Amino acid sequence: MNAIAERYADAGVGSIFLYTNEAHPGEIYPHLTSMEQKLRHATALRDILGVSRPILVDSLDGACHRAYGSMPNMTWIFNQAGTPIYKSDWSDSHSVENAIQYFLQVLDRRRNRERMAPFRVERLDYRIQDQAQFYAGLERNGPKAVTEFREAFG
Amino acid sequence: MDPDLLTRYNYDEFVPAKFEPWMRFDQSPPLGSKAPDFPLWALDGAETSLSAVWAANSYTVVEFGSFT
Repeated sequence: MNAIAERYADAGVGSIFLYTNEAHPGEIYPHLTSMEQKLRHATALRDILGVSRPILVDSLDGACHRAYGSMPNMTWIFNQAGTPIYKSDWSDSHSVENAIQYFLQVLDRRRNRERMAPFRVERLDYRIQDQAQFYAGLERNGPKAVTEFREAFG
Repeated sequence: MDPDLLTRYNYDEFVPAKFEPWMRFDQSPPLGSKAPDFPLWALDGAETSLSAVWAANSYTVVEFGSFT
């Protein structure tokens, strides 16, 4: 996702990471109890995990996150007027880049004076499922996160 | 802020009874309609908003998530 942000920044596509609640609280990054702690965890996301996009933090009660469906790692794309034009219940760079390329083409077509009207489409996209990488992420937060995930999903 | 909401939203263990109630993507705002705006904070504590973010570019990608 960082690479996509860099690739399309000059084309007028902004990218941010919006920090929510801890999906898998553990010994190292436990559940959140204060805004100061939330800002510390978000800073670690930048410094340790290398998120290079601007990171913005939601309120402690997750007002924004909850209003948009509360999924742990979803992605939305907004146009400049504040209309959501893409939403996915999971973040996948291939899906997001595919959408960006389509929407940039829409801008080009408008510049070429094509008359267009929006319509809704549903599509099932596919994401890479890397169990080893996922568990490595859980292990970064200590054994509690690993144990709880195994107990929840086997 | 509602202390009960804070505790339930910031659940302390990943067990279905605590995380599943929050997964409501089917009830999220529809595409094509003006989206709700909320205040957000930069890492230095400076306040901004989602609307300031989306107004800054032709398109804006917003990835939601956390360290964990």
